[in-house]
Amino acid sequence: MSRFLKNPFGIRFKLVFLSSFLLVIPWLGYQYILEMEEYLRRGQEQTVLGTARALATALNERPELFDEGSYGPARQSDDLYVYPVFYPLSLDDDTLVDWQDYQRYELSYGKDDTIGTLLNPHSPFARYYHYDDSLNFKLLVGEYNRSLYAYLKVVDDHVVYRSEESLSIHRNDFLQISLVTQEGELKRYVISPRGPEFIYAYAVGEDLRDLASLSHEEGISGQWYEVPGGYEVELRLPLTMLGDQLGFAVYDVDDEVEREVSSVVATSDVNDRERLGSLRRPTPEIDRIVEGMGHTNSRIQVVDRAGRILLSVGDIQSATGLVLSEQAYQERVNKYWLFIEDNVLHPLYYRILTKPSNDFIDELYAGGTIEGQHIASALGGAPQTQFRTLEDTQTRILEAAHPILADGEVLGAVIVDQNMNGIRTFRNQALETLFNTILGVMVIISFGLFAFASRISGRIRDLRNQAESIIDDNGRLRNTIVASRNSDEIGDLSRSFSNIVERLGQYTNYLENMSSRLSHELRTPVTVVRSSLENLGLVAHGKESEIYIQRAEEGINRLNLILTNMSEATRLEQMLQTSEKERMDLAKVINGCVEGYRLAYPDFELVADIEGPVMIEGVPEYIAQLMDKLIANAVEFSYEGKPISIFCRAIRDQGVVRVSNYGPFLPEEMKGRLFDSMISVRPQEKQRQPHLGIGLHIARLVTEFHHGQIRAENLRDAEGVAITLAIPLLDE
Amino acid sequence: MARRIAIVEDEAAIRENYADVLRKQGYEVQTYANRKDAMRSFDLRLPNLAIIDIGLENEIDGGFTLCQSLRSMSETLPIIFLTARDNDFDTVSGLRMGADDYLTKDISLPHLSARIAALFRRLDVLDQPTSPENLLQRDKLTLDIGRLTIQWNNIPVPLTVTEFWMVHALVKFPGHVKSRQVLMQESKIFVDGSTITSHVKRIRKKFIQVDEDFDCIETVYGMGYRWNTQNTSGNTDQ
Repeated sequence: MSRFLKNPFGIRFKLVFLSSFLLVIPWLGYQYILEMEEYLRRGQEQTVLGTARALATALNERPELFDEGSYGPARQSDDLYVYPVFYPLSLDDDTLVDWQDYQRYELSYGKDDTIGTLLNPHSPFARYYHYDDSLNFKLLVGEYNRSLYAYLKVVDDHVVYRSEESLSIHRNDFLQISLVTQEGELKRYVISPRGPEFIYAYAVGEDLRDLASLSHEEGISGQWYEVPGGYEVELRLPLTMLGDQLGFAVYDVDDEVEREVSSVVATSDVNDRERLGSLRRPTPEIDRIVEGMGHTNSRIQVVDRAGRILLSVGDIQSATGLVLSEQAYQERVNKYWLFIEDNVLHPLYYRILTKPSNDFIDELYAGGTIEGQHIASALGGAPQTQFRTLEDTQTRILEAAHPILADGEVLGAVIVDQNMNGIRTFRNQALETLFNTILGVMVIISFGLFAFASRISGRIRDLRNQAESIIDDNGRLRNTIVASRNSDEIGDLSRSFSNIVERLGQYTNYLENMSSRLSHELRTPVTVVRSSLENLGLVAHGKESEIYIQRAEEGINRLNLILTNMSEATRLEQMLQTSEKERMDLAKVINGCVEGYRLAYPDFELVADIEGPVMIEGVPEYIAQLMDKLIANAVEFSYEGKPISIFCRAIRDQGVVRVSNYGPFLPEEMKGRLFDSMISVRPQEKQRQPHLGIGLHIARLVTEFHHGQIRAENLRDAEGVAITLAIPLLDE
Repeated sequence: MARRIAIVEDEAAIRENYADVLRKQGYEVQTYANRKDAMRSFDLRLPNLAIIDIGLENEIDGGFTLCQSLRSMSETLPIIFLTARDNDFDTVSGLRMGADDYLTKDISLPHLSARIAALFRRLDVLDQPTSPENLLQRDKLTLDIGRLTIQWNNIPVPLTVTEFWMVHALVKFPGHVKSRQVLMQESKIFVDGSTITSHVKRIRKKFIQVDEDFDCIETVYGMGYRWNTQNTSGNTDQ
């Protein structure tokens, strides 16, 4: 760990850093999918516009489909405009609220619309008298699900219901509906309630006073309810009953006693087939054409020049444009994966992505007329598409409008709408798949890279550790490098290291054995000289020659001593190899040695600080030999009259022996090499005896044989040197 | 009749120097430079004593082979290895081959001739009765200074001449510590301390082969060795 901290920018880190560039891939994927979405969006735009164009083409040059009559302002004629309603209406809820915004398209009828009937003979000029201001109503006609819906809000100061016992239907407030059937026959119906009730419609004959001609009409249903200041009627009749003319008339009776109809307000002349107002509803012709185009997964609307919707097919909620199969999801049977996906991944993804909802309300289209730039443009003659984002759900809606032309004149426009949820969903699915795949690939790649980097750096660190461990503090070869058999560069490096170390080892070995070999080689000539001198001594007579022979012999003896010393270390090494260690008390051996040294060096004061037992595994003779060398060394360098102290203790898990003397400091640069073979720091004038620097080398050999360490250091508190060796204690 | 000594040594100068000295002392000396010549001669007639170098011309271990052949020809023929090889391994090998002594070439000529004389003396007295004045008795130990033999519990301990002189030096004054230097002088060899250590080790082993409980040679660390008369384990606690 410390190594890792020491080198924070290791190969592993670098590789991980470099591999972080892989994160560009998901970004690219994301960009790609966005591009694709854009592409698809344009495609959808073209498709939608194409659909609009196709429809418009089908409707082109057919002005009859857009009956000119219907184009005037709605209230300019007696015609009734039928608004397409896009949701079911409830008839029995006592209220008109379910008509919602459509209510703003209701039309008002008042005294100007008074007509004369058989029941109020003032007519047909009654309207000009406008003697009764109290009666007026508002009307709205809509179409939903092949039925015509209508409501009337009637303002009437006196609501007079049909009395309980009365059979006649005209002596009270009532409502008349006139229509021309598809066969061209004028039919009239009367709704004459006995109170607020579920309406019961009668078909009437020529004269509605003729009770015999009354018959029940089941097709018309609805509710009559009373409101403050009047009443309201909400009714429905199937489109099958209807031709293309329709009218409503409200008969008002104000005097409960007289029960005479005082005024009639109607949408048109309800009793005259010719003058009955037209029903303006999307023509069946357009209907059929558009119906044929209706399976395009879009909402298609046809508007007239005023922007009023003539027809609407499909609803925008399900107009996704793109149909996506759910198959992909069903194939995944692994519920664990699904669990992870639903609970971990998707929440994560949808923090970024917006999930489109089909549960939105397109307010713009709630009414009976629509507007927008695209429509304006289309009605101006140029097809156009536009995107619109709904505020609340982030749903984008694609709208295309194409003009319908006839004789170079714009009759209306086809509007094709699709919401973009299909593409959005598709995009989201693609992104999910992309993210999943990339997540997987990234995880695998990251782990792979990390493992690879770890392996590489591990191997390099191994090699480094090996390289560091082959040479000890003194620069001696300790181990060899195990050559890697890997065929790559690191293996190569390892092998060449191993090779270098091997050759270095051979060279070191050659150097270390140099003295031994030299001494061996020199011994033969020395023997020749010595034996010759001895022979000479035996034969020569005369004082002079004897002196020279003696000197020569002294020289040869000294040379011999040198040779012996030179090979001592090698001999010791050979002996160490065959020696067996035994349990021994280090303190006892040191103690014995110190006793001996007191005899051997009577001139020096030896201070022993020994505390036993210090049990180690070792060979006492070698320990003694080691001590001989240390003491000899200490004695040699000690200042005269100064004590030499010997310390021996078990400290923690090591037996520690320290021999210190007062004397000159060690040269700093020699400290590490002091224990090497042939290293001596003796000044020249001290060389009374031959010194080869073998002594401390032997000390080190013995220490290493006991798996210990030896080091030399200068004393801190006085001029002197301490040599300390530490040998591991025996495990008890 | 003069005793015949064979010197097998490939270094002519050394060979002739040794031969000269020995001849001066009255021995009949034959010299050979290699194993083949020596064996050819030995096949005809054995010498009374053989001094052999280990490395002979191109044979690294020729001396060992020669020693083995000689020993197989005669059980009693004294054989001395005189070689430049001073390592423990060769010493042990040489002595195991049946050599009576193993000397390194740095031995001085007088020391060499003293050994030769000792060996001949030992040979001479083998078939003569032991004279009591030559006997040194220490507990179970009997030293025959005349024959250079040692008995422990009346069982002979096969020591080389060098080893005998060492034991003799220790036993002369039991309880006295003999330093390695002293032992070196007494046994007439010139080696370093660790060689003495291995000599002492070998002596101990030889005694232990005779008596497993032998514990008379005590190491006094830092000083040397001493002979313990009591069979107690020696220690030098203050």
